[in-house]
Amino acid sequence: MSNYFYVSPEQLIKDRAEFAQKGIARGRSIVGAIFDKGVVLVAENPSASLHKISEVYDRIAFAGVGKYNEFDRLREAGIRWADGTGYTYSRSDVDARALANYYAQYLGDMFTEGQKPLEVEVLIAQLGNKLRPTKLYRIAYEGTITDEPHFVVLGGDAETIRDRFALSAPTLESLSATLRHATAALGGPERTIPHNELEVGVLEDRGQRRTFRRLSVDEVNALLG
Amino acid sequence: MGLPLFSAHNDPGPSFVEFAERHGLVHASTSADVGVHATTVIALRYSSGVVMIGDRQATGNYIASRDVRKIEAADRFTGLAVSGSAARGIELLRLTQLSFEHYEKMTDSSLSLSGKANYLSPIIQRNNLSTPLPVLPLLAGWDLSAEQGRVFEYDGAGGCYERNDFAAIGSGSPFAEGTLRLGFRADLDLEEALELGALALYEAGDNDPSTGGPDFVRRIFPMMVVIDAGGFREIEIDEVERRFQLISERRAESGGVAGGALR
Repeated sequence: MSNYFYVSPEQLIKDRAEFAQKGIARGRSIVGAIFDKGVVLVAENPSASLHKISEVYDRIAFAGVGKYNEFDRLREAGIRWADGTGYTYSRSDVDARALANYYAQYLGDMFTEGQKPLEVEVLIAQLGNKLRPTKLYRIAYEGTITDEPHFVVLGGDAETIRDRFALSAPTLESLSATLRHATAALGGPERTIPHNELEVGVLEDRGQRRTFRRLSVDEVNALLG
Repeated sequence: MGLPLFSAHNDPGPSFVEFAERHGLVHASTSADVGVHATTVIALRYSSGVVMIGDRQATGNYIASRDVRKIEAADRFTGLAVSGSAARGIELLRLTQLSFEHYEKMTDSSLSLSGKANYLSPIIQRNNLSTPLPVLPLLAGWDLSAEQGRVFEYDGAGGCYERNDFAAIGSGSPFAEGTLRLGFRADLDLEEALELGALALYEAGDNDPSTGGPDFVRRIFPMMVVIDAGGFREIEIDEVERRFQLISERRAESGGVAGGALR
């Protein structure tokens, strides 16, 4: 007969949370911020091909931190969900909040029922229009969803970076100022992140249906001066 | 719809059609329907791109619509036109546009032009062999790697054939093709290609009852599209009107016949 050891639910949740937090802390952080004309997502990413930031739909972008294979699968599911919903109904019916809720449910399920919790945090950004507001939804590893009014930081060192960013950017600014603050907050006082290790995505109205755009290294250089 | 997650062994990859079928979003229909069709759309290559021209009329037993847009930008560098069943044709356009964008977002890279052309084959095959509502598309675009315009046509079973001169689809295509065959040269410039294309469409509209020619009364003119290194762009209605006005005046002078030359 095998032995079963009793583990209290509190202890189980604590262990799982610790496990997920450890995994997430191993990766670099991401800042998502609303600027005066849109939303900018900034990631510290030494790889130029394994992206953390992605287009999801006309006015929706995705960013993920933690284990690449886990958040990339969520990214793909998000694109499929958005394209499938827009195909079934209409493009204007694709709502970031609905997608954020699905992510929250899935991450919550995996946290309590999965073999192991997912070691990821996800950001869904929406550029507003007449129908919907500009929003940043942060979904944590255990399924907690928060709706951030101005900026959001994901990843291991989120607390510190959040404090640094909040100090430097009290109101909505231009893209270049926001990008500068985000980069400074990600790097901290002692460290400057090389521009070619920054992955930057922007949601901005340019008179086209698709509003997402990746910034090239040259564009980042020009904006950071 | 819930969050469409797949495990690695049954993941549909970046193909939207594959995903949509797996998820029950699209079904091969077998119901009979009243097809509204008949068309002329042509695509021809010129020295630095392709030109697409299509009529605007949807015809069943009578004229169902006079201002249909049969050519759409499938993405920035690709034009897609459809002939055959209007219902299935519009569906094919939607699905194709969505598929190319879906691929781009999933993989962070664009499909090659040949990749886009091949992608349509099984969709056409499935539609035409399982429904009584056949569609036949025409795909033309600017190939970013080869740096040239390319034209692809299809047969009813989904076979994809690249043409190095021109292609025409729809009931008016024999008349359009006659004109194109006589007038085509490999070194046409843009102006010559637009002129030849307009003439070919005029011929089709003149001879095929199901192809709409220029409608000066309603100011509805065939759609003229250019795809080159700068992407997909539609020619302004004023310029299209001027072009067809000139052809019409020349024909009026010679009593309705071309008068011994391609003009």
